[in-house]
Order: sequence, then structure tokens, then C-alpha cells
Amino acid sequence: MCVQLLSFFFCFLQAKNLSEELRKLSWSGIPRHVRPITWKLLSGYLPANTERRESTLQRKRQEYFGFIEQYYDSRNDEHHQDTYRQIRIDIPRMSPECLMLQPMVTEIFERILFIWAIRHPASGYVQGINDLVTPFFVVYVFEYIKEEVENFDVSSLQEAALRNIEADSFWCMSKLLDGIQDNYTFAQPGIQRKVKALEELVSRIDETVHIHMQQYEVEYLQFAFRWMNNLLMRELPLRCTIRLWDTYQAEPEGFSHFHLYVCAAFLVRWRKEILDQRDFQGLMILLQNLPTMHWGNEEVSVLLAEAYRLKFAFADAPNHYKR
Amino acid sequence: MAKQYDVLFRLLLLGDSGVGKTCLLCRFTDNEFHPSHISTIGVDFKMKTLEIDGIKVRIQIWDTAGQERYQTITKQYYRRAQGIFLVYDITSERSFQHIMKWASDVDEYAPDNIQRILIGNKSDEEEKRQVATGQGNKLAKDYGMDFFETSASTNYNITESFTRLAEQVLAANKKDLDLLRASVTDELNLAALEEEEGITDGAAASQKGCWC
Repeated sequence: MCVQLLSFFFCFLQAKNLSEELRKLSWSGIPRHVRPITWKLLSGYLPANTERRESTLQRKRQEYFGFIEQYYDSRNDEHHQDTYRQIRIDIPRMSPECLMLQPMVTEIFERILFIWAIRHPASGYVQGINDLVTPFFVVYVFEYIKEEVENFDVSSLQEAALRNIEADSFWCMSKLLDGIQDNYTFAQPGIQRKVKALEELVSRIDETVHIHMQQYEVEYLQFAFRWMNNLLMRELPLRCTIRLWDTYQAEPEGFSHFHLYVCAAFLVRWRKEILDQRDFQGLMILLQNLPTMHWGNEEVSVLLAEAYRLKFAFADAPNHYKR
Repeated sequence: MAKQYDVLFRLLLLGDSGVGKTCLLCRFTDNEFHPSHISTIGVDFKMKTLEIDGIKVRIQIWDTAGQERYQTITKQYYRRAQGIFLVYDITSERSFQHIMKWASDVDEYAPDNIQRILIGNKSDEEEKRQVATGQGNKLAKDYGMDFFETSASTNYNITESFTRLAEQVLAANKKDLDLLRASVTDELNLAALEEEEGITDGAAASQKGCWC
């Protein structure tokens, strides 16, 4: 089965044009072995046309390192130093499960984030964007190694490989952020809008949970802000985020729109635990520390299936189930 | 049936990114210290119950993200707070200078009778100190605040500063407090007061102390 799935992937990855089949297959999870190239194709970073892929990669990687040459020395200039300082404060304070504390990784993340920030002055660097580099980085490291990534010493990679990983991570993160930039501009309107939409959606799909939270004066912004700002990365183990992103990249507007349905399914997933809590503090502590440590592919697949059902039922008929 | 607490307060931690707000809070609520704590996104929540003058005070503490971009979100929490920690890092002159900005935000968005306290954190890092204790004292005096230098790392002045702010909030809400004392003396139940506060006591009512 697994071998067959892989051979399907190989077949579609070699196709002249990005096939609908590749998206469909990826929606249900991408085998680790083909994940790096599939992510690059789905994100639009790599062209579907096989003949143009290698030259595009070379050109984009050169372009990125051109930005570094052009801009990176300005990181200590007066008008950039706040940005650079914030990035440097945040990188050691990222999720401990990734490779963040290795000096070489720290430097790579600093460069990626700084270049992105100064090229996107409307938002600049916002805390949380740093987390969004991690899945790309970790997945692209897998292109060059066979071992489990957790204890892997990144400095043992060849310099050329590291440069490719860095540039590819930068471009794919940029593509992702292009679709959700209003999450990070002044007053974060994208997040405010999505948190409201989440509230509306939950009130329609599970009125009991919605009323229970209202009764104890829990506001959606108090827990779901982070769900939107960090795309649930703070709520799930990294392996689950990577699996989630297989689907987000296969789904049209996955990060900007489908994520809302995933959040709704995620909240309602805890309905029993939520209804068991009978005061504000109990609810807040539950919602800010949901017990997902043991989660794996199975749980994410169930979550995604439920999100898909919700999207199907509600997205195209916004008034259909209105209270 | 024993009550978990008599009164409920909301406190807020404000200050620049990386001054140690989350570390102060974790030391206070869980007696833990992690040198590189994961950065706060938006606002985090913790709570603890203290006993002050025989009154069980439950404090809800909102821990905010320090980056400026989040302030549209975090300012929404100001108006519901009764007490605010203004935190700087003694090894960062810049975080100390920004206290003025944080204080003026509090003036603008928080209720008039809000209680404030100034905290200079990381007092164990003496060799990197950029802000003299005297500067902290002077600023606190100018603003009419109490002042503590603290260290979440060595657990220095943590309970003291949280208790002091809680005491100030109690004193500032003395009217409600007197009502409470009267009812405690008369051995009345506190249902009326709790109703006013919008609190409901749940099935776990016999549980005492911190739930964290």
C-alpha cells in the first residue's frame, strides 16, 4: 500500500504539469520521502514544468543570497535594529523540540526572518512568524539526511546543502505569508476577523459549547488569537503541524481559509473537556494548554476530515444553518 | 463547604519583550524557572490563591506579549485589570526607558483606581546591570509606585512583589472588602458577593489553593 502510494507520488511528481491528482493525494498526507519536493511544488515555489525546475531553483537560491549580500549588513542600522533585536530575542525562545539551539540554525533563522521582515515593511517581523519557518526548515533538512531530525547536528551537513535548505525555506515561508499577511499588519485585522468568524462558526455547529463558554465569560480572542497567529503550531507537536501543512498546501487557501474550519473542529474536539469545566479559570487553563502531546497522524487526520465536513456544510452556504 | 477563595482580582504583567514577565509568573505560580521560556503570543493566563489578612485572594494573572504589534490586542485587557506590574530588565537600559511609555498606556486605557507596581527583573545578573537601583527607585517615586528588584532565576522578591500588589488592590477596594469581612464574621455565605463578581462555584469547590 505504502509502496503503491509512493509510486503514485513519483508518477505525479514527474508529470509535466502540476496535476490535480497530486493535490488530491497530498491532501491525505505526503510520505516523508517525497515531502520536500511535493511541498515545493504545491506552494508554487517550484514550477510544475519539470524542465524548468532545476533552473528555477538555482535562480531563486541565488536571488535569496543576493538579498543577504544586499541587506543583511544593515541589521544593526538604526532603522532596522529593533527588528533584528526582536528576532534575536525570539529565536532562542522557540519550541524546544526543534533544532533551534544549534548556533548554525539560529544564524539561518536570523537571516531568513530579517530579510523577510525588511522586504515586507507593512507588517515587518511579528512574534510568531518565527515559528512558521520551522516546518519548512525541518522538512527540507530531510532532503539531505536519513536520520530522525531531533538529535541531528545540522553543522555536519555540507555547506551547499545548508544554503539550499535556507533559501528554499525562505521562499516557501514567503509564499505562505503572502496569503496571510493581514494577520500581521497593524492591529492584526486578519486575526481579528478570523477569530470572529470562528466564534460565529462554533455558535452554529455546537451551540452547547458556545453557550457554555459565554456563560463563563470566556472570549474566543483569549485562546484563539494564538491559534490564528501561530497556525496552531503552539497547540500541536511539530510532527502534527507538518502533517497538517500537507493538507494546507494541497487545499486551495489552506492557510488563510481552511485553517478556520480546522480551528473550529479542534475546539469542538474538546467538547467534553470544555463542558466539564465549570468556571472561567478552569476553561482558560484548559484552552491554553490542550493535551495534544501524544497526538500523531491519526488524530490530525480525524481533525482534518471533520474540518472538511464543516467547510463543505458551511463555507458555501453561510446563511444555511444560521441560528 | 469550604470556599476556594473569598475575592478575585485580575492582575496584568506589562513590559518589553524579553524582560522576564513569563518567568516571574511561572516562578510565582509554579515555583519553576526556565532560562529560555517560549515567547508569549498574545496573552497567557495563570492564577494563584493567596491568603492576605485571613482573606483568600484568588488572583488571575494575564501575561502579555511585549512586542508592540500586539498592543491592539493586549490593551483590551487593561480595562478589566485591578493591578498592573510594569516590568523592566535591569540589564537593559532601553526596557527601563520604555516604562514611561507603558505607564502612559496604562493611564490611558486602564481604570482610574488601577494599582501599579514597578519591577526591575534579573537582579541576579549584576555584572550586566545597566539600570542602577537608585534609578528604579526614583522612577517609582515619581509615579507614586512601589518598587522591587526581583530575580525569577534565584526566586528573589517574587512572592513579596506579587503579595504587595495584591495588598494594594485589596486596600484600594476596601469598601468591598469591609462588606466581605462583615459577612465572614457573621458566618454568612458569600453567594451574594460572588454573584456580583460573576463567579460560580463549581463541583470542585472543596479543592483549595492553586490549580496550576
